[in-house]
Amino acid sequence: MKRAPRKPTVIVHKTDTLDYKNLELLAKCIGPQGQILSRRRTGLTTKRQRELKQALKRARHLSLLPFVG
Amino acid sequence: MSLYEGMFLIDNDLVREGWPSAKAVVTAALEKHGATIHTARRWDERALAYPIKGRRRATFLLTFFELDGQNHPELRRDLEINDHVLRYLITSVPALPETEAEAAQVESSEDFIVPPPPADDSGSYRPIQGVDSDNDDSDDDDDDLSLDDDDDDDGGRTRTVTSSRKKTAEAKESGGDKEAGGDKEAGGDKEAGGGAEPAAVSSDKEKSQ
Repeated sequence: MKRAPRKPTVIVHKTDTLDYKNLELLAKCIGPQGQILSRRRTGLTTKRQRELKQALKRARHLSLLPFVG
Repeated sequence: MSLYEGMFLIDNDLVREGWPSAKAVVTAALEKHGATIHTARRWDERALAYPIKGRRRATFLLTFFELDGQNHPELRRDLEINDHVLRYLITSVPALPETEAEAAQVESSEDFIVPPPPADDSGSYRPIQGVDSDNDDSDDDDDDLSLDDDDDDDGGRTRTVTSSRKKTAEAKESGGDKEAGGDKEAGGDKEAGGGAEPAAVSSDKEKSQ
């Protein structure tokens, strides 16, 4: 019997704005080494995951978040 | 003419001389290339996640402006030449955020005082995730290792010295403060595996003398 996939804990709500200035939210979406968490972990749709990726990369460019570590 | 959001990292050395003059560096560059500035305000002053041009802290200026797309390359070139602008990010936005105008007005009011950046620029970035909450000094093994400069590159030797340091600490507790050096050597000799290595260290020292 196939086990149902585990639902990820909600990190980003539908009303949250995925912006590079929203650091409290972005910090929840990166791992301990600074890597972007997968959709399986964030629970986002593909479109919202792309927005998250864009926001995180912009924050990294401005040195608001680290590339590594 | 499109609406853009610009975030500029300004060198804190310039900001310490005065925020209006630091702000003018960016706004003048924008106006030089025909931009219409809607808002420009200090977003934050913070330690950077990684150093940029040797700076560990910077002040962030957030602006919303309209600019002709043809003038973008020249504006970018000017910003990259400017030493006071450490980094910038210009993104297209559909409309001016509602809260932005109010936030910018707060800064333009006479009562508002821009907090000056700290005198020391060597601020350390605290990562939001993985914050080291362990503030107790009970596990001071690292401090012990940093004391010996001779043998950091050898794991076994380091282990030997660490154990000897522990014995030194025990000796200190028992009241033998002046005999710390002697205890260290004695502790090194007692180690079964690495007993010869402290002797090697001492012979190195003799050679250097």
